[in-house]
Amino acid sequence: MEFSSSICPPEILCQILVGLSRTTILFIVASGLTLILGVLRIPNIAHGSLYMIGAFIAFSVSKWFGGGTTGFWMAVALAPFAVALISLVVERGIFAHLYEREHLMLLLLTFSLALILGDLVKMVWGGEYRTVQLPGSFKGPIPLASLPIPIYNIFLIIIGPVVALGLWLLANKTKIGKISRAAAVDREMVGAVGVNVSWVFAIVFVIGCFLAGMGGALVSPIVNITLGMDHTLIIEAFLIVIIGGLGNVWGALLGALIFGLTQSLGILIWPQFGIVFPYAAVVTVLIFRPTGLLKSTW
Amino acid sequence: MPYSKIGDDIIVRYEGPLDSSGMVGRLRPTGLLCGMGVDKESLMEAIMKKGVITGTGVVLVWFLAASFSFGADTIKVGIIDTYTGPATAYTFDVLDGFKMAVNKVNARGGAPGKKIEFLTRDEKFKPDIGLAMAKELVLKENVDVLMGTINSATALAVSDFARKERIPFFVTFSKSDKITGEQGHRYVFQITENTLMAGRAAAFELAKKPFVKYWIAGDDYEYGHAIADGVWTQLKKLKPGVQKLGESWWKVGETDFTPYITAILAAKPDFIIVATGGSGMVNFQKAAKATGLAQKVPFYQHTAIELSTLEPQGLDAPEGVYGTANYLFYYPDTSENKAFVEEFRKTYNRYPKIGALYGYVTGVLIEKGFAKAGKVDKEKFINAVQGMLIDSPVGKLELRACDHQLMLPMFFGVTKKVSQYPFLIASDIVIILAKDYMPTCEEIKALRK
Amino acid sequence: MTKNIHEKEFWLVLILFVLLLIFPFLLTRFYIYLLALIFVSGLAAMSLNLVLGYGGIYQFHHAVFYGVGAYGAALTITKLGHSPWIGFLVGPLLAAFLSLVMGAICVRLSKLYFGMLQISLGSLVWAIVYRWYSFTGGDDGIHGVSMPALIGSTKGSYYFALLVTGACLMTMYFIVKSPFGSTLQGIRDNPVRSEAVGVNVRLHQLVALVIAGFFAGVAGVLFVVVDNSAFPDMLFWTLSLEILIMCLLGGWLTFLGPMLGAAIMVALRTFASTFTEYWTLIQGIILMLVIIFLPEGVLGYVNAKFRQLGDVTSRGKA
Repeated sequence: MEFSSSICPPEILCQILVGLSRTTILFIVASGLTLILGVLRIPNIAHGSLYMIGAFIAFSVSKWFGGGTTGFWMAVALAPFAVALISLVVERGIFAHLYEREHLMLLLLTFSLALILGDLVKMVWGGEYRTVQLPGSFKGPIPLASLPIPIYNIFLIIIGPVVALGLWLLANKTKIGKISRAAAVDREMVGAVGVNVSWVFAIVFVIGCFLAGMGGALVSPIVNITLGMDHTLIIEAFLIVIIGGLGNVWGALLGALIFGLTQSLGILIWPQFGIVFPYAAVVTVLIFRPTGLLKSTW
Repeated sequence: MPYSKIGDDIIVRYEGPLDSSGMVGRLRPTGLLCGMGVDKESLMEAIMKKGVITGTGVVLVWFLAASFSFGADTIKVGIIDTYTGPATAYTFDVLDGFKMAVNKVNARGGAPGKKIEFLTRDEKFKPDIGLAMAKELVLKENVDVLMGTINSATALAVSDFARKERIPFFVTFSKSDKITGEQGHRYVFQITENTLMAGRAAAFELAKKPFVKYWIAGDDYEYGHAIADGVWTQLKKLKPGVQKLGESWWKVGETDFTPYITAILAAKPDFIIVATGGSGMVNFQKAAKATGLAQKVPFYQHTAIELSTLEPQGLDAPEGVYGTANYLFYYPDTSENKAFVEEFRKTYNRYPKIGALYGYVTGVLIEKGFAKAGKVDKEKFINAVQGMLIDSPVGKLELRACDHQLMLPMFFGVTKKVSQYPFLIASDIVIILAKDYMPTCEEIKALRK
Repeated sequence: MTKNIHEKEFWLVLILFVLLLIFPFLLTRFYIYLLALIFVSGLAAMSLNLVLGYGGIYQFHHAVFYGVGAYGAALTITKLGHSPWIGFLVGPLLAAFLSLVMGAICVRLSKLYFGMLQISLGSLVWAIVYRWYSFTGGDDGIHGVSMPALIGSTKGSYYFALLVTGACLMTMYFIVKSPFGSTLQGIRDNPVRSEAVGVNVRLHQLVALVIAGFFAGVAGVLFVVVDNSAFPDMLFWTLSLEILIMCLLGGWLTFLGPMLGAAIMVALRTFASTFTEYWTLIQGIILMLVIIFLPEGVLGYVNAKFRQLGDVTSRGKA
């Protein structure tokens, strides 16, 4: 058991910044998941698969545009839309007919979808490792008190709150946002008032999956794009959603923050067992506030 | 009302005088509606339900029937491996290398005079499935030889099974040293290097370098710890002055190493031994490139210089990373290696990675073993193949008789960008001969007690 | 009328049992092994259904108890050196104990929250088993667990699995038919009303969880008997989902549904891989079709067809 030799402010700041960049990806994916869970009441296990598809599509788009700066930006712009399109097809084709089923059934339905999508990815892209190139301006680190922080991580830290703000605006300032929040609370009433609930659900589902695809696209340059990415992420995303409060986007942010920071700070304190900290945090939260830290929509 | 069906909403307006609970008011219309047949499933639904059940049944029976193969007079090889998930990046090469060897043998008429046929099974990196498939291959398909896998847990379980069933089993990618070490036996052969061997080879070279203060980090699973232990124990033996400042272990599949890297840098070691495996290799190198780690503190990873790690990163891989590997397609520049690479590229349109060598050599061993034995007899095959010397793209290789471990040369080098390839390669390559880094027969014997 | 149906079902089950006894003399070793595997998975699925189908509890990480049972037995035999029969007892008892502890923590919650907390706790147990390699062998698992000669062979392990599974199923049947079982189903259908009638809902659920955990542990022990190994994968959440699917596929509102579901899954898995490397795809498609068109599972559908003749309680839900 080894404790880190010295813990002084520059290192803590460094770990916090790094933890925050990790938070962004987790938040983006988890926010999509919590939207779908909150409004449609579907625990979408296929969310991880969509994240993986987002990363693979980002790879293909980037390669098509020849890599480098254009490739990267085109990938980040196009991949989420591609994933959104796929999710629209899935939603209209399958989910739209099954909203009244029990949660357990819906959960297993999304699980079967995850199985199918996982193998489809293998069929289309094969088993090799893929990566996406970073644009030149994002490569390399910025030194911060003699410790390097990769520029791309700073970029991610900036993107996080931007997305959060965007979602907040969408939910509170647009008509569709307000209708969705109403539908989350009482779908029958919304339907009785004359709104086509089915299409509201479709839009929310597509937005949620768009976010999953975005997460995958944003993570593609710093990570090994491989089969099985979906499994590792989905459990973390679900735990974040649960501790944040079902359907609560700010809760997803809070949960992602807790997850990201407890891990990066935990590494500083106890490097050998840094991984335990976020899970311990989750269990603690659930024992004391089982419905999540912030208000859920159910 | 036959236009309504299950799932539709029907609104009933005012049914008559209400009683206190409203029960009668609710039951009567319900009864009427059901009497009209609205609660029965529609014809479409009924057909679909029957269809699903019969469909599943038909599929099952079809699979069952088709799985009865009537074995021709061939040498049957059963391959269990992971063809799903991140490990696939390595295992397809093993299969392709093996196929290349087998096609050559069969073109020549087989060995001896019998063609080699093979069956593959995907264990999805799950040992219980792998073991079940091994049993299926042996008990139902009656294979003569078993081959595979990248999952060490599966390899150990199948090895145990192979011993009971007395069938030879060639381990093609699993790196646990228990396979030919303490749990080794007559029926298991290991083609790939194991963690103990890799560690000792690395220590052999690192001991010659001036680094003193080490940090150890890696994937928190058996493979990671085994490699780290392998390197460190041997390094301490060869150079007692080295110090370990600390250790960091992250979960397997970790994608963001930056927090770990910054924490390690804060401790200021001279050198880092990074025990990552599989996709962790690329992820760590990406983080290393982003933080400029290799230029600040050099580090070593087993297979850092290998194509499977370097090719996906293209020209963005970090330079100056130390690594070991058992196969480099560009080195040594011998005619056998060139011919092998040429043939592989022509058949599969890509450069061969380490797995290709393992698969190819296994194919050659199986062919030569049965050819020497003269007939398809498992015991004779084992007697023939142990201690055998074969030609390979990396020179003459011996399948050591005392532990059934293939004696591969290990290459130690540093990553470097060159103009002729769109990916980095190893430079300053040193060849470490098998006899210099493998445990001796006496050590193996002591382990197996 | 009901009594006649009981007898009819009873004879069907008896005939099936006799057939299973004779099979080893007719089939090759591989199919004997396959049937034994089906018993193991089936028992695990049946134990899940005790709390899932009959109790309405969202048991999302049932595999933990299955794995702990297996490891309990395997470690007792290999690391502690005791006789296998002691190992066979340690496994289920350890699983039941773990179920008690985890249940006590989780049972305050309901539905999805129960499931998620259980997954977190279960993953913690998995992580411990996975990392404690000096004791548990880590991700290499445990191999070559020695068995008494009587049950060590393929046929021997088959009969042992058959007899143990049969005994467990009979016990489960009596539990389900007992007042305890009926109360459990009442809690599933309407927990508020049950509480109002004076039933201690939490205690009932906890007892059910412990029983389910015990039987899952037995299934784990049987796995060690049949395959002589234990793997950390047995405690991973994906296996929990697979067991859940077996319950669903076969019919989670029927008694024998999960066993049928296990049979279909194991058979599919074995035979589909001879064909294609994409059998996850096939598994996903079949699962999706079953969920959409056969929400009550295969056995549920069959039972519904015989609705006029079938015993009402065999459908589990009035």
